[in-house]
Formats: sequence, C-alpha cells, structure tokens
Amino acid sequence: MQMIYNLKRKKILRFLILLVVTLLLFSALPGAFKVKAREKDETIVLKISNWEEYIDKGDLGEEPTDIGLGIISSKNGLISDFEDWYYETYGKQVVVEYSTFGTNEDLYSQLILGDTFDLVCPSEYMIMKLINENMLQPLSADFFDKSSEYNYYAKGVSPYIKEVFNSHEINGEKWGAYAAGYMWGSIGIVYNPKKVNEEDASTWSILTNPKYARQVTIKDSARESYFPTLAILNKELLLSDAFKNTADYRSKLYALMNDTNPETIRRAEDLLQKIRKNAYSFETDSGKSDMVTGKVVANFQWSGDAVYSMDQAEEDGLYLNYSVPNECSNSWFDGWVMLKSGIDGNVEKQLAAQAFINFISRPDNAIRNMNYIGYTSAIAGGDSDLIFDYVNYCYGAESGETDTIEYPLGYFFNGDNDDEKYTLIALKSQAKRQLFAQYPTKDVIDRSSVMGYFSEEANEQLNQMWVNVRCFNFDQVTKETWVKVVVVCLGIALVITLFANRQSIFRKPKKKGYFREE
Amino acid sequence: MKYRFTRKQLCIPYVAFLILFVILPLLVICYYAFTNGEGRFTISNLTGFFSSQNTIGTLAYSTLIAITTTGVCLLIAYPVAYILAKSKLKKKSVLLTLFIIPMWINFTLRLVALKEVLTMLEGNLAMYPFLNTIIGMTYDFLPFMILPLYTALMKLDDSLLEAAYDLGASKSTVFLKVILPLSTPGIISGITMVFLPAMTNYVILDMMYNSTYIMGSLIGSYFNAYDWNSGSMIAIVLLAIIFVITWASNGFQEEKSNRGALL
Repeated sequence: MQMIYNLKRKKILRFLILLVVTLLLFSALPGAFKVKAREKDETIVLKISNWEEYIDKGDLGEEPTDIGLGIISSKNGLISDFEDWYYETYGKQVVVEYSTFGTNEDLYSQLILGDTFDLVCPSEYMIMKLINENMLQPLSADFFDKSSEYNYYAKGVSPYIKEVFNSHEINGEKWGAYAAGYMWGSIGIVYNPKKVNEEDASTWSILTNPKYARQVTIKDSARESYFPTLAILNKELLLSDAFKNTADYRSKLYALMNDTNPETIRRAEDLLQKIRKNAYSFETDSGKSDMVTGKVVANFQWSGDAVYSMDQAEEDGLYLNYSVPNECSNSWFDGWVMLKSGIDGNVEKQLAAQAFINFISRPDNAIRNMNYIGYTSAIAGGDSDLIFDYVNYCYGAESGETDTIEYPLGYFFNGDNDDEKYTLIALKSQAKRQLFAQYPTKDVIDRSSVMGYFSEEANEQLNQMWVNVRCFNFDQVTKETWVKVVVVCLGIALVITLFANRQSIFRKPKKKGYFREE
Repeated sequence: MKYRFTRKQLCIPYVAFLILFVILPLLVICYYAFTNGEGRFTISNLTGFFSSQNTIGTLAYSTLIAITTTGVCLLIAYPVAYILAKSKLKKKSVLLTLFIIPMWINFTLRLVALKEVLTMLEGNLAMYPFLNTIIGMTYDFLPFMILPLYTALMKLDDSLLEAAYDLGASKSTVFLKVILPLSTPGIISGITMVFLPAMTNYVILDMMYNSTYIMGSLIGSYFNAYDWNSGSMIAIVLLAIIFVITWASNGFQEEKSNRGALL
C-alpha cells in the first residue's frame, strides 16, 4: 500500500513538473519571438505620460466625426494615428505606450520611484523643477529647423508662447530648450451675471466679499490658492498706475506673485482663514457642477474648465460669464519634455518623441485636441490659417448680426496685435464668455504672471500654511463656545447621575413601623 | 487514492496574503514612522504628533465627529433593530432588506443624491458643515450599526423577558436590566464598526463641503507634500488608538460573559 502510494505520488509529481515546464515554455516562447521580431523590424517603443483626458482619443462617436472645417476626428484617436503616420513618413514602426497622471506631484513621485517615460507633459513649474534637477533631455537643434516639412511645432508655435518659453529661465537654462508648449491658459472667475455684478467679479477680493458669503469656491491646493491670496494682499499696489507703468513691470509682477517670504506666507495664512470662512468649498472638480446647478454664484477656475462650465450651463439655459480679475492672473503652460532616463541616448527614440510633438502640433491635429479637451493649444498654425479659421468658425459672428465687436488676436497668431487679418468679429457677449476664456485679450496677457517653481523650503512652509488653515485648532474656539461645551457636558453628567441614583433621590423614604390603611 | 491537501498546504495562500498585504505594509509604515527623511532612526515624528496644535486639534475634531456619529447611529439603529427583531411580521426579511439596500449602491453616489436633498432643505449646504457631516456619516454607516444589533436582539430568548415580567418587573426595568445587558455584544461591535471609519473617512467631509481636516485628510495632506514620515506616524497613532479601543471593548465583553457564567 505504502509503495503504491509512493509510486502514485511520484507519478503525480512527475506530471506536475511536466505541466509546469510546459506552461513556462509556452509563456516564454511568444516573448522570445517578440524579442526577435523587434530586433528584426527595429520597432521603437515610445513611453508617453500625459494628464488624464488630455488628448483626442477618438471616442467621440462610433463613426469619424467632422468637427468643422472638414477636420475629421478619426475613430482611432491621435495616438494610433501617430503610429500610422510615423510608419508612412519615416518607414519605421513605433509603438506608443500611453499612460496618464493626475497631478504634477503624482508624475514627479512616479519618476522618483523609478518609472521611466520618454515623453511627459507637466506644467511649467514642474518643468522648471525637472530642468533644475537635470532630468530632462534638451530638444535637438533640427527640431527647430523651420525648413523641414515635418517640423510642425517650430513652424506653427504661437509667437506669444515662444516668447514666454524663451524669456523664462532657471539656472540660466531657457524652458524653450527643453519644452514644447502644448496647452495654455489663465485663471479667473466664472460667475453668474444675474447674481454677481461684473465689478465684484473683476477683483480677487470677491473671495472675501461678505456679499457672497458661502457662495464662492476656491481651489483645494496650497499652490493654486496662494496666488489669489497674494493678489488680494497686494491689491492696491497691483492696481496702481504707478506700478503698472514702471519700466520693469513684468519682472516686478513676477517677483511679487512668486513671493515666498515667511512673513508673506504668514499674512497669506491669516487671509486664507478669512477666505475659508467666506467660501462655499475647497474643491478641485465639484466647482464646475456646483456652478452649473446654481449652488454657488462664483467659482475660481482654470480657463479650460471655465469653458466647460459655460458650455454645460448653456445647455440648461443658464448663461455664465468668465472674468480675469484686474489685479493680475496666473498664466499657466503645459509642455512636452523628454526625460533623460527614458531616452537614454537612443537617437531613434528621441526622433520619434520629437516627431510625436510635431504630429500633435500639426494644425488639424491641434484643432482635434482643442475640440476634445476644451483647452487652448499653444499652436497658432504659422503659414496655415486653419487654427484662426477654426476660432472664427466657433466664435465668429454670423453675417447680419449687429451686436458685434472687434476682437484682436494678433498677439497670439503673428505677434502683431493690430493686424486686421487676425482680428475676429465676434458677438459682444463672447468678450466675456467662452472666447475670452479660451483666447484672452492682450491686456489680460499683459497683467498675467507665471508662478514658478518654489524652493523646497518655501514649499514646506506653504504646505504647513495649508495644514494650519485646514486643521481644527483649539485657538479658534471662542470663550462662548467653551462655556457652551462645558455647560452641555455638565448637563449630560447631571442627567446621568440623577438617573443612576433615581431610587435614592426621588423615592419617598418608607416610614418606619406598621400603619393601617385608612 | 486521491491526493489530499494537508492543512498546512491549505494555509499557504492565506499566509501569503497575510504577509504580502497585512504584515509588509505595516512594516513599511512602521519604518517610515520611526525614521526621518534621510532614513535615520528618530522619534521626532512621535513627539511632533503630540506637540503640534494641528494634529491634536484634528484628533479632537475627528473624535468629536466619530462620537456624535456613533451616538446618533445608535439612537436610530437600536429601536429599528428591536422592532425588526421582535415584530411578528411575516415579511421581516423584506423590512431588513429595505434597510440594507442602500449599502448595495456606491456610497459616493448616495452622497451626491443626499447633497441635493440637503440643498433643497437647507438652501446653502456650506452654512452647516458639521451638521451635514454627521448626517452624511450617519446615512452611510447606519446599516453597520443595525445589522449587529439585529443579530444580537434576534438571539435574545423571549422566555427571559417573560420570566422578568412574571417576577414583577416593569417595562423599563426589563429593558434596562435584561434586554440592554444581553444586547451589549451587538452594541459594542456596532460601535467599533461605526466609530473607527467615522474618524478617518474624509471623502464624506469633502463631499459635504466640510473644509476642516480629519485624521484621514491630514495623512493625505502630509503624503501629498512628500512627508511620508509624519503621515505614517499619524497612521500608527490611529492604529494604536483603534487597537486600544478594540482591546478594551473585548475585555468588557469577556467580563460580562464571566459574570453571566458565575450567576
């Protein structure tokens, strides 16, 4: 019996070993083939990481959709289109491994924890941090060669974006040497014109305005909320003509809006406490729907989300406006950068990465993205007028409409704001609505400042400020509240003791002796 | 003869699960809690926890929210569970299901709906952040209180109640001396199931527009600022609090049952 058992066991063991070996072989074989195939065709694998919902994925409908001017949003989306285009143009197979991130900080932790990407799309301050930490691969010289047919970025980028990317430096390195602009915008206030007058919405002080107590929202992030707080703190200076007319207004504005002096942070903390008492909520996403459903009347918002809110509200017959406060605004830029860790000296890979930037910068593809995402592309189109035509198609007034204005956009399209060619004839209302949010006027651009990358120390202080603002603190409790709390506690204690000893307190003591009932 | 798995072999998946998803993460948290940014041993995170106004204030606020939520849940759930357990209704299970059905819907969805209802009732939600938080939490955690109470009260032997009445006890005495003590295990497990999540569930606070941090959101804010060490320490302290509460309540239960056995 024992022997038979052993025999069977051996058989089972042998069977198991065989099974495992076959399984291993089967799982390893396709991999081996793949490796061989790859070596043969030299397929390039491009790892790209981007914000969520930040590229045309082609899922607008079952069929390819015409989004105006005959531009077709194909069913496959831009990434798949890029793979095909690259093969047709350069004769090489490229496979894009696409992933997404939620915040700049998430992306940074991914990089620190060892994930490798070839091409990523962070915001300007994270680009500055990455340049500073020497993690980025510079764009090659032929990327900027305008004579090449396929260099759509160099040919098409807006002169305004180019100026910003070349005038901002960190450690003597220009952003433009590392980053290619993708989307950009401003921050401002979406408001309901029936509930809020325009004057109130034209200043950041609306956040502390008691008239709109608990009806305005602010962003749930130390960085985003610090900017308007600084603007309110420096309101008088920012609005004074003397300051606006100083020769180095722009650099002074930048210094003011990037002030991380401990004393300034302390003052900002006090102000944020006030804002918090006046605000409806600290939000990152809920503000849009709360604005549309009418729970709040004003909403501190990024320009792209403002467009989204206005579009959504319009469907319900509610017309919202967008304003950029008179003090100043934060202009932000998302750009494509290549990572040293991913590219790793591989020239083929770098070419493919740069080709990807060029492909999505082709005017028709930039329009597909704008249509899908709702933000504003950094591409003006260069020789092609397609993008201006698209803006005109979206926001231009129909012939015969009377209530129109001239809306100059030359600063963005060719650098000359007086150019008639790039002056849009739009409905008057659009100057406060989607058009204004998507393409702000020149004066908004002039009073906009970038918010740069803060030092570790300043970041720590900002985070501490934020925790101080958000935490419950015993110092905030007034004496009255303390008295109330003590009274309530004593009351509860009294009731419990009375209840526990009710027998001895309330019951009448029995009289001693025997009494006859009468 | 069939090959049989021995008990040890059957345990392997469970042990692997325990090590991978319970012990290892705990060790990682402990490592971070007792080291500084450079990875050197320190107890400054611990002292920092108890010397910071923010963490103490947040602990107090979370505890207040948790106690209030548990209290309200208990007050609502006890009568409901008692009625459900003792009613002579034939379709008792239908009634119970009605109370549990909300649990089958994702809680964030339910909160979105609740938000609309409260906006209709209150006008501006942001005026009453504390009240709304308690309402939201009660709404979410009520089934966790009802179920253990219901099971405890179902097990309650009716003959005990009859005996108490026979011996002349009034209704209130029967409740205080018989029903309440016998349902303590249910009350305790209900409290542990509501109190602990109520201390850390910051999603409800966020959704009800309460801008004050509770413990969960404080940990999140430290992690967002890459301060893994202080965040882990808060998690460890919370774990210790939870451990003490569970241990104390278990002790309480054992004491009760011992006394019962002696009688």
